[in-house]
Amino acid sequence: MTASGDTLIEARDLVKDYPMGESVYHALRGVSLTVRRGEFIAIMGPSGSGKSTLLHLIGCLDTPTSGEYVLAGSPVHTLAPDQLAELRNKEIGFVFQTFFLLPRANAVENVELPLIYAKIPPAQRHHMAMEALEFLGLQTHAAHRPNQLSGGQRQQIAIARALVNKPSLILADEPTGNLDSKTSENIMGLLVRLNQMGNTLILVTHEPDIAAYAPRQVRIRDGLIVSDELVGTPGKGGGS
Amino acid sequence: MSAATRKEQIFGFWGSVAELFRIALRAIMGSKMRSFLTTLGIIIGVLAVVAVVSILQGVFQSFLGQFEALGANTLFIRPNYEMFSDRREGVRRLKLTYDDAQAVAQQVPDVRAIAPMLFRSDSIAFRSRHDTTTIVGTTEAYGPISDVNMETGRFLGPMDVDSRRKVCVIGHDILDKLALSDQCVGTEIQIGRDTYTVIGVVEKLGGAFGESDDDRIYVPLTSAIQQYGNDAANQLILLVQVRDAAHMDSAVERISNVLRRQHGLKFGQTDDFRTFTQEEVLKQIKTFTNVSTLIVAAIVGITLVVGGIGIMNIMLVSVTERTREIGIRMAVGAKRIHVLYQFLIESVTLSTLGGVIGLGAGWGVSLLTVWILRKTVSPTFPPAYVPLWVVLLSLGFAALTGAVFGVYPAVKASRLDPIEALRYE
Repeated sequence: MTASGDTLIEARDLVKDYPMGESVYHALRGVSLTVRRGEFIAIMGPSGSGKSTLLHLIGCLDTPTSGEYVLAGSPVHTLAPDQLAELRNKEIGFVFQTFFLLPRANAVENVELPLIYAKIPPAQRHHMAMEALEFLGLQTHAAHRPNQLSGGQRQQIAIARALVNKPSLILADEPTGNLDSKTSENIMGLLVRLNQMGNTLILVTHEPDIAAYAPRQVRIRDGLIVSDELVGTPGKGGGS
Repeated sequence: MSAATRKEQIFGFWGSVAELFRIALRAIMGSKMRSFLTTLGIIIGVLAVVAVVSILQGVFQSFLGQFEALGANTLFIRPNYEMFSDRREGVRRLKLTYDDAQAVAQQVPDVRAIAPMLFRSDSIAFRSRHDTTTIVGTTEAYGPISDVNMETGRFLGPMDVDSRRKVCVIGHDILDKLALSDQCVGTEIQIGRDTYTVIGVVEKLGGAFGESDDDRIYVPLTSAIQQYGNDAANQLILLVQVRDAAHMDSAVERISNVLRRQHGLKFGQTDDFRTFTQEEVLKQIKTFTNVSTLIVAAIVGITLVVGGIGIMNIMLVSVTERTREIGIRMAVGAKRIHVLYQFLIESVTLSTLGGVIGLGAGWGVSLLTVWILRKTVSPTFPPAYVPLWVVLLSLGFAALTGAVFGVYPAVKASRLDPIEALRYE
């Protein structure tokens, strides 16, 4: 793992417009953001603020209308869809609000999913996925399907999937949105632990007490960053 | 794009195919009933083709076997009934007689032997058993030409023919029909209104349809003429064996000349008889085979298109249903080509599985059909026969159908936007 201080994300003047019939909806109006490896950042903002759009851009699911975005040395704003897919596969682990596990696949198969597209042979893949599950203490649930698991366990499986490819960046989009407060605490504790181990985390949320786990908080409103501050919180990460 | 990355993509391709095949099988097995219904069109198409082709091929094989057994050095001649639109008029006006046969035998040196044959369907009886069969009035020449093998007793001899003896040689099926024992030589049976003595039983031959050569009784031609009269005697079929198959064409020409002279035909008049060599008959059978193969191919085409539309329909539904899944796969790094192949391989696997099921079921149906035909139509109906090309063709077309009709849904899936796909409820 690289020492903290390396720049992982360099975003400059990101603009994202969506055509809405005759007019144009400006989701992002010029966002600049620098993230170093090992940081733990919460992006906060009400719905419609553009935080989802920013997440999609950071997550390489979409490209900006204008502006530059460099992730781990790759100029994302210039890439084609398949190159974006490759970058997502190598560099990014996603954790979603509704987990997004494949219902027909069991836990370990879900965790293996990114490795399939990384062309890792089946035996090695299985081994890596089991390691990720063991790290989370879920190895006994490897053969369970998502519908046989609790919400917290499902989110842990999703986190294992996000970790398995050893990505540069873990992107969590309202990871506790569908969980009760006790389970939310556990999941956030797990994310803090991952950050302490050196992983870079970006958390998107509208809940202040969830955002409070992150030492750096970025607030966004109407497509612009309105504040970007370091705060002393329990989940001390590698920020600055 | 550099050559190295290109090579890596191609190298990784087959690994991905194996992977996607597993995913496809899981999706197919995940909803067995639906997969079965989806591919039912393919199953029925392949089933119909295999059943029809295997039965037809069985019949053709049996036909071919019979005519090949006839030998390349034999031909037969019958009156040219096609000269008249009404066959009864042909029978009344045309003649092919024992004298014609004798003339050919004497005047054409190429002819080694000639056996005139008088065919008649008649009732037969032994004790309380009654039945009908084909009576063949012929001469001793028939035995060697047709390569008749005797199970017991002997075939007709010259003395039997010359002195119009009331003796008969029976085909193997007659034993069953009249409940005769294996040692029936010397037994007297009824043929029509006359009584004949059995002098021999022919070995079992097998044969196509109800036209089995086992279901026959051979009697001396002279006795048959005496029993059935001159009308029958004028409608013979001549079975001719030539000395050298290589000179078949010139032999046919000489025989035709003799027969034309016998019948007093003038220059320019059409032959009032027709000759059939093995080669011609085989050619006709093959033409028939080709035509029926074409018809079958047309049926295959139609049913597979119908089956393919079914598959496309369900694959489109499947893509819509699994939009979320596609979004997840894309988010974790699936490229468009991965998604495209996933759905394409799924539809090809689905349709090929349908093809396999159709093959098995079609084979089963043809076995059942042959069994029923043997019970009802003819006990000697030839067994069904599935040539390898039918197996390969059906599976190939089934797979092709899956590929062709899977392309559109697969392309649709691969073009999805990952964000839209993830949001899809």
